[in-house]
Amino acid sequence: MALRLTVQVQLVLQALLRDPAREMYGLELSEETGLQPGTAYPILLRLEREGWVASRWEDIDPRAEKRPARRYYRLTPGGAVAASAALPGARRPNGTALRRLAEGGGTA
Amino acid sequence: MMPGIGREERRNKRAPVVAVIVAGTAAASALVQPGWQWVPLAAGMSAAIAVGARIDRPGGRGRGSGRSGRGRDDGDGPAGPAAHRWHMLVMVSRLMPRSAGRRWLAEAESLLSEITATRRGAAIRSYLLSAPRLVVMMWARKALLRARPGPGRPG
Repeated sequence: MALRLTVQVQLVLQALLRDPAREMYGLELSEETGLQPGTAYPILLRLEREGWVASRWEDIDPRAEKRPARRYYRLTPGGAVAASAALPGARRPNGTALRRLAEGGGTA
Repeated sequence: MMPGIGREERRNKRAPVVAVIVAGTAAASALVQPGWQWVPLAAGMSAAIAVGARIDRPGGRGRGSGRSGRGRDDGDGPAGPAAHRWHMLVMVSRLMPRSAGRRWLAEAESLLSEITATRRGAAIRSYLLSAPRLVVMMWARKALLRARPGPGRPG
């Protein structure tokens, strides 16, 4: 199944592409993109299934850290190339779409 | 870790306490002189009602809850409407294939534990809104993987 580059997908890819080697967790991505976490999750899942993104659980002791482990996402080398190639040709988000995202955090 | 102490769990913890108080009241009433039976009866019933009523108080926490009486704003998981929505998240995760549901819930838990209380409600709502599509997507993928002959599968 081909990946549809919706506005939300573009925002996630742009956030990950800023530093392709950097791992980001859900809350970071949500804050950087302005998307609600529930919106970002299915996008990350689709990107992972397409092989554009890889993820891993943080290796911590939740009791010592007093928080659950985070799930970190980063672009795969192939994903970074594919995203860099796909984004310039993608449909640019128009003003209305951006306003809706800013107001409601977007829907997947 | 996430959802604080559930209502049912609180109920289960307090039920034996209430039972002991009621039994103690009955025993004490039997022991005291006939004219004074109302004293242990009134005291016992008041104690039983006080303990029992805490079960249904939103965010009500008592000794033995294991949460030291901390509220949701200090990182103890949601209470009230947020707790209700959290339970909905748990229920929705059960509609997904097991491993996918576990991962979804674990990620939601991880994120919600770090988010500020004011944003938690909206975040849970967004998880719930995206859940139906996700459930369909996950089952469709699972069905597709089953239909596709794998390396260890005959055919």
